[in-house]
Parts: sequence; structure tokens; C-alpha cells
Amino acid sequence: MGKKTIVPIGPYHPLLEEPEFFKLYCDGEIVVDMEWETGYNHRGIEKICESKTFEQVFYVVERICGICSTSHPFAYANAIESIPGVEIPLRAKLIRSVVGELERIHSHLLWVGLAGHFLGYNTVFMWAWKYREPVLDMFEIITGNRNSYAMFTIGGVRRDIDQEKADQLLKVLDDVQKKNDLLVGAVMDDPVIHARLKGVGTLTAKDIHDFGAVGPTARASGVDIDVRRDDPYAAYDLVKWKVITAKEGDVFAKAEVRLLETYESISIIRQCLELLKKEKEGEIKTKVKEIPPGLGIGHAEAPRGEVFHFVKSDGSNSPVRHKIRAPSYTCIPTFRKSCVGGTISDAAICTAAVDPCYCCTERMTQVYDHRTGKRVMNAAELIKLSQLKTEEVREKMGL
Amino acid sequence: MNIEQYIQELRERFPGIKDTEVVNQKRLMIHIPATLLQEITNYWFNDLQYRYIIVSAIDSKEGYEIIYHYSDDNTGWIMNLNVLLPHDQPEIESMTSVVYGIEWIEREIMDILGIKFLNHPKPERFLFSEDWPEGEYPYRRKFRQEDR
Repeated sequence: MGKKTIVPIGPYHPLLEEPEFFKLYCDGEIVVDMEWETGYNHRGIEKICESKTFEQVFYVVERICGICSTSHPFAYANAIESIPGVEIPLRAKLIRSVVGELERIHSHLLWVGLAGHFLGYNTVFMWAWKYREPVLDMFEIITGNRNSYAMFTIGGVRRDIDQEKADQLLKVLDDVQKKNDLLVGAVMDDPVIHARLKGVGTLTAKDIHDFGAVGPTARASGVDIDVRRDDPYAAYDLVKWKVITAKEGDVFAKAEVRLLETYESISIIRQCLELLKKEKEGEIKTKVKEIPPGLGIGHAEAPRGEVFHFVKSDGSNSPVRHKIRAPSYTCIPTFRKSCVGGTISDAAICTAAVDPCYCCTERMTQVYDHRTGKRVMNAAELIKLSQLKTEEVREKMGL
Repeated sequence: MNIEQYIQELRERFPGIKDTEVVNQKRLMIHIPATLLQEITNYWFNDLQYRYIIVSAIDSKEGYEIIYHYSDDNTGWIMNLNVLLPHDQPEIESMTSVVYGIEWIEREIMDILGIKFLNHPKPERFLFSEDWPEGEYPYRRKFRQEDR
């Protein structure tokens, strides 16, 4: 035998997309405190943007998130276009909203699947991800890519949606709506899911205000905020839709909000496509010669909540400073309220409820013993524990 | 919302306000001295229930600009507080006593720009590792200029 080699896996590993590190401090079965460590994979995107032209920044910020890759370009477009005060063509507004809402559908389906997996409902996981596939395929047809669509540009969009594609999309939406009915039924009517999620990881409206949490996390606690309605952009003030809220603030309420929001998104896309049909041919882009000196402050409602971009221009062709805030930045700290006081077996679903980027959360959550400070459990074991609890609940209910 | 009336009322309540400007549609920037920060933050966050968004920090020619972004979700206005800190004394009171969620971003600004937030509950490294060299702040204008 030669020398032994140790291969460390994580927090840096090719498989880990965005390493994060949660430390749960436990006393017996109860979580007493929580810490979060980050910076393992800081890409310095704000700094990179300073060396790119305003146009190139779109493609940089698109790569911030792999799941909702259009939400950052959306907020950036709102910010940068506000400096010269560009009014984009109606057709571009509608196409922007269609892409934004399609993304919300696939992101919420992804969440439902993962939440199901965390609870030991792997059928729900398989279903949700299967139904998400046609939505991604639709993205490929409309934009040319299943992810990182590169649709946005200063003053409009880069590709048009013609009638043929619109018809295809409508067909897919009909299908997605039926499948969503199925998922809603599977979640809302299941007594075991009720037992596992109701009253778990509850956040009050005050907690939401203290942390500045946004999106479905806030709306599930009765905080009625949505950038699309409060500060309308793109085509959101041209179509009829409603903001979904729930009062309870627990994990079940968050699931409910996401599932029902999917219906609203489908409805928004249908209305946008109808308006596109009426609009017929038209410009999809306004020419913007230069960005004058000034401040651009823009936000957009991503599937996980408000994305905020702040751009400072000095009249050159690249930003002097570009500040980006993703929704998870203010939602993740709420774990300190939602997990603490609960059992370890509920911690996995509490962290999942906020919809942070899972791949990282799942692999890096670890449980520490409150007294000794020793690591007692990792993320995989934590999820296993959560699934076992569902089994136990199911047996107790005699199902 | 009548923004002129709002600005006038705000100026009457806080006479120390240096300057106000409507940046563009539904965006208000208020320039204030650091001494007024706690009071206005308290008024906005607790009395008017504005939502805390984030804090931006810029190294500009005049000094370090710390911009606190808040949102009035009832009207859709984004309200911004701008505090200018001199280059030779980058220190400001931490707002964690008013806004609980502001803790992370203050630590991040400490890392990237070297601004000291006084009375911060956990003034530790956030983005950077513990062995990141002292005094190296990548978002300062002079950062490794000779390397470029």
C-alpha cells in the first residue's frame, strides 16, 4: 500500500453550485440557535459589472441565478432604463412579462417537487419535475435556451414571439394548468402534509418586517406586497391578476401561496399573448444611444421575491457602481425565527420553505450539539429524518 | 402621493436634512448628515413601516457614500437615505438596533469597503475568509490600481 490520499468534498466542490453553510445548534431534539456562513464562492459579480459595458451587464447578471435567470436582467433593465427615462414598446413589455411569468411557473414547480422530496413524497417530486419539463422546452422554443435566455436588452427584448409560438405556448399552458390542479389536490387534501406543515416554521408579519423578507415568504404571513402591483413595470398594469396571500405564516401557507400563484402566472401569460395578438407586428426595441450620468434604481418580482438593482452611471459606457440584492439575502436570515424552537426533523422543511437555492442548502446544512459543539448530523441525514417523521405521522394516522 | 408636500413635511420634522432630489420616477434621494441617520431610520422603519431593502456603498470622489434603500409599498416609492463619510474617517453608527435584518449587509460593507459600523453586534468577516489581508478593500477606487 502506498500513501493514502484524502479527497475533501465541500464546501468547495464541482458539484456544489453555491456553497452555503448553515450551523444548527441543538439541545437534544430542539434547535436553539442558528448560524449562517457564506462567501465560499463569492464571484464578485458587482465588481465584474464595473468592467463591462451597460449592454454586457445583462449577460453577467443573468448568470447570478441558474433557476430564475431572467429576474436579474429584469430588475437591471428597470434600473438602467430609468436613467435616460426610456419608454419601451408595448410588444417588448408584453414579451418581458411572458418570460417573467413562465419563469415563475417553472420555479414554483421546482419548489413543490423539492418540498415533496424533503417530506418523503418522492412521487410529488417526480411529478412536479416532469410537468416542469414542457415549460423549459417552451423556453427553448421562445428564446433559444432552456435557461439563461438572453432575452433582455436596453430598450426592449431581443426576440419576438410570433403567432405560431404563441399557439404552442397556449397549448403547454393548458396542460400545465391541469397538472397544477393535480399538485394542488395532492398537497391541499393530504392529511399527512397538513400534519407535517401546519404550524411549522411560523413567521409573523412583524418577523417579516424586521428581516425585510419578500416574496412568497412575506405573502404567506399576510404581508400583502408584490412589486408587480405596487410599482408596476413591463405589462403588469395592463392585465388583470391578483396577489395571493395567506395569513398563517407557516410552511403550509408558503406552499399554498406558491401553488396558487402558478395559476395567476398562467392567467397573466394568456392575457399577454392575447394582447400580443391584437398588437400584431410592431417594434420590440427602442434605440437607446447612451446612458447619461445618474442613478438607476430598479426592482422586479422574481419567483422568490423582490430583486433590487442600483446602478450609478457617470456618463461613460459602464457602471461606476452596481449593487445587487437577491431575495434570498433577506429571506435566509428568517431561519433564525422559523427554525429556532422547532425540532431538528422540521428544520429541513423550514429552510426549504423560503426556497433558497437548494443544491447548496441541502448539502451543507449540518447539526451541531449545543453543549459539545460537535457535528452530529449532515444535510442528507437531516432530510432522511424529515422523511422518517412523515412516515411516523402517516402510521399514527393509520394511512 | 404628493411628493413635494411629503418632502416639505420631512424637512420640517428633520431640519438637519441637507438636500433632497427626486432621482427619477418614484425614486427619492435624501442627503443627510450621519447624526440624523438613527432618527430618520426609526421614523421610516417603525413609524411609517417602510420596508428595508438593502444598503449600497460607493467610493466616490467626495467620500464614501452609504445609501440606505427603503420601500414604501403602499405607494411604490423607493426612499433612499444618502450619508457621505469622509475618506479619512469611514465610520458610521450601525443601524442594527433599529433594523434587525441590516446586520449582514453592514458586515459585507465592512469587508468590501472598510467602513466601520460602530456598535455592530457581530463585526466579523462576512464574505471574505479570516485570512484575507487586512486593509485590502476591493471596492475602493484605489484598490490595486498598479496591477491594472
